[in-house]
Amino acid sequence: MTTDSPPAEHPTAPSPGTAADELKALLDAAVDAVIVISHDSRIQTFNRAAERLFGYRAEEVFGQSVNVLMAEPYRTAHDGYMRHYMQTGEARIIGIGREVTAQRRDGSQFPASLAVGQVPGSRPPRFIGFLHDITARKAAVEALRRERDRAQSYLDLAQVMLVAIDPGGRIALINRKGCEILGYTEAELIGRDWFEICLPERQRATARAALAASLADVRTPEAYTEDTVLTRQGGLKLIAWRTIVVRDELGRPAGVLSSGEDVTERRRAEQALTRSESLLRAAQAIANLGNYEIHLPSGTTYWSAQMYRILGREPSAGPLPPSEFPAQVVHPDDRERCLREWQRAVEESERFDLEFRILRSDGTAREVHGLAQLQPGAGGESLVITGTLHDITERKHAEDELRQGQERLTHVGRLSTMGEMATGLAHEINQPLTAIATYAQAAVRLMDAGNDDPAELREALVQITNQALRAGEVIRRLRAFVKNKTARTETVDLNRLIEDLRVLAEPDARVNDVRLTVDLGAGLAPVAADPVQIQQVLLNLIRNAIDATLETRGTPREVLVRSGAVADGIEVAVIDRAGGIPPAVAANLFNPFYTTKASGTGLGLAISRSIIRAHRGKLGHRPTPGGGTTFFFTLPPLPGA
Amino acid sequence: MKEKPATVFVVDDDDAVRTSLRLLLKSVGLPVETYASAQEFLDGFDAERAGCLVLDIRMPGMSGLELQQRLNEIHAIVPIVFITGHGDVPMAVEAMQHGAVDFIQKPFRDQDLIDRINQALEKDRDNRAGLKERDAIRRRMQQLTPREKEVLDLVTQGKANKVIAGDLNVSQRTVEIHRARVMEKMAASSLAHLVRMVIEAERTAAP
Repeated sequence: MTTDSPPAEHPTAPSPGTAADELKALLDAAVDAVIVISHDSRIQTFNRAAERLFGYRAEEVFGQSVNVLMAEPYRTAHDGYMRHYMQTGEARIIGIGREVTAQRRDGSQFPASLAVGQVPGSRPPRFIGFLHDITARKAAVEALRRERDRAQSYLDLAQVMLVAIDPGGRIALINRKGCEILGYTEAELIGRDWFEICLPERQRATARAALAASLADVRTPEAYTEDTVLTRQGGLKLIAWRTIVVRDELGRPAGVLSSGEDVTERRRAEQALTRSESLLRAAQAIANLGNYEIHLPSGTTYWSAQMYRILGREPSAGPLPPSEFPAQVVHPDDRERCLREWQRAVEESERFDLEFRILRSDGTAREVHGLAQLQPGAGGESLVITGTLHDITERKHAEDELRQGQERLTHVGRLSTMGEMATGLAHEINQPLTAIATYAQAAVRLMDAGNDDPAELREALVQITNQALRAGEVIRRLRAFVKNKTARTETVDLNRLIEDLRVLAEPDARVNDVRLTVDLGAGLAPVAADPVQIQQVLLNLIRNAIDATLETRGTPREVLVRSGAVADGIEVAVIDRAGGIPPAVAANLFNPFYTTKASGTGLGLAISRSIIRAHRGKLGHRPTPGGGTTFFFTLPPLPGA
Repeated sequence: MKEKPATVFVVDDDDAVRTSLRLLLKSVGLPVETYASAQEFLDGFDAERAGCLVLDIRMPGMSGLELQQRLNEIHAIVPIVFITGHGDVPMAVEAMQHGAVDFIQKPFRDQDLIDRINQALEKDRDNRAGLKERDAIRRRMQQLTPREKEVLDLVTQGKANKVIAGDLNVSQRTVEIHRARVMEKMAASSLAHLVRMVIEAERTAAP
């Protein structure tokens, strides 16, 4: 109700005659409370509706200040309003409806809308007020508001972001989750341009065009999209969107409503998983390593892609059941061993760890290393066997070749050492041959001369036998030393080994006019070694010592071989009294093909060191006190010896 | 002068070779002494003893070549037969240059060794006979008077009696008397014989 067109001039009270009665009837019939007050706020008219509303009878309030009908703060403020109007003529309420809180006779209060107008022509002015109880309307509005709040809280409760965007691209609505994801408060976002604020620049044009297209009904928005949003902190988050077009009552597009889920972490995890899966696949291919799973007792089997490749089988054919694996895959020669080991592992819940051969479907054989572990499955009775199969064919071949290469090299080194010692060895065999020939010829001469002393002839024959055996022994050792190509490890008494070696080493010393002496430590523990290889090392060191002695004049022509116990095992030292090692030579001592000898191969020390290393020992040198060089090697004692 | 019988001295560090050599040489009736090292032989060496040396060229300590060098240093005349291995030809050549009689490679035919030993023993006999001859010449020369020695020197220089008489400022007749005394004391059958004896005596006097 407005006061722009106030009712016509009708005196309200007191008014004589019929017109007054008519007016009263009219007022009493009105639904709104109608109250007329004087310029000093005295109530002059109070209709029936006002009586009902306030609980006063008209006679009770006539002449009273209208204040009684008001609740605080309006009651106190009212006198101020009136005075202000009277002085300035400036209306604050007149002609303007407002909502006030009214107070009944019983003190209860209610919301009401109030329209006030000045009675035209009244001097001093009088005012007429229309008052309408809006309790019901207020309740309805409140209910609506609650409903809206509830809806908002639903929105806020949702763990997805909800954004409504109007046709201008402005944010019409955003829930708490949305604010949380974007890092803004609701107030900072509502009404702002969604694209400017919340999208990375490169996406803006496309997204704007998509909105325009959706709103123009050119195309429906994609039901599901993933896109990044820009947060207040400048970060990017990946959001999975579902979008619908919101339409007005006429069915025209009025904006879009999107629900978005922050999938940044999930996508990252998925990508990490994908990446690690593809890495695993690549790693398996590179390492030629396949893996499998067998679920027991069902026998359900899984093979990785590389398993099929190693076994040369088609992935489409699926994995072989464990029961068929040995017969179809394992090499016949290894089948029994493999089965036995597998059964042992399954029965004892032990680790399966075996190298065996397989036959691929194309008939080629490969070397593989199988590892498997039993684990309890989900159910109490079930078992899962997790295993890997590693194709080690290339490695095996490489190992074989390396070992053969090393054996060949070692053998060449030995032959070369023998070559250097040939003069001495020829001499060593020549000596018994000379003795044999001389004894035999002497015996013939004795017989021819009619010598009848059998003791003398017998002695000659015994000596011939001894010398033949002596020559044979040299040749036997020589053959054993040169012929033996493959390494073999046995328990070795180093002192015995040194004694045996004297047969080969002493001739070399003798022909070079060098005295070779041996000083053997007592009670040495045995070592695990390849005796021929250790002899090779020792012979090489002795040869070097002899050569060093020959190179320097005026030093004692002596080489001493000494054995003894040291902290980390048994040491064998070859001690010369020659000129020592010049620093330039020392630096290259163990380099293959480095040699100071005119006819040397430069392999001797390099091979010697690799032999000693293979025996888990060490080879080194130090100055001999008083001049010369001592080369030594140590070997660890036999465990438990 | 009564000589001891010539002995074969065997020096070899190899027991078997040494012992077999002893038996072989004994079987052909040669007196043998064996030594295990050069030093051992040198320690017991007696220059007066006739014989020859059978010497191993390679030995630890003092080698055969070194022993030969030591013997040369003390002007020992004992002839040496070297025993060598297959690879020792350069050493054998060196030994020959230093006066060895011969060398023989191991193993050897007994006759080859015995032949060489006999050859060496013969050389030793010659050496010793030569030594005896020179000793006799020197003894005779010591019986000459100083004037007779002067005449001997000038005669053996090929000077005529008249020239010698002029050099010594004596009569030609005096020279002829001295010359006859020299020929007699030196037991020279001719002038040529006399010259040969003087050369022989001088050669060995300053080796």
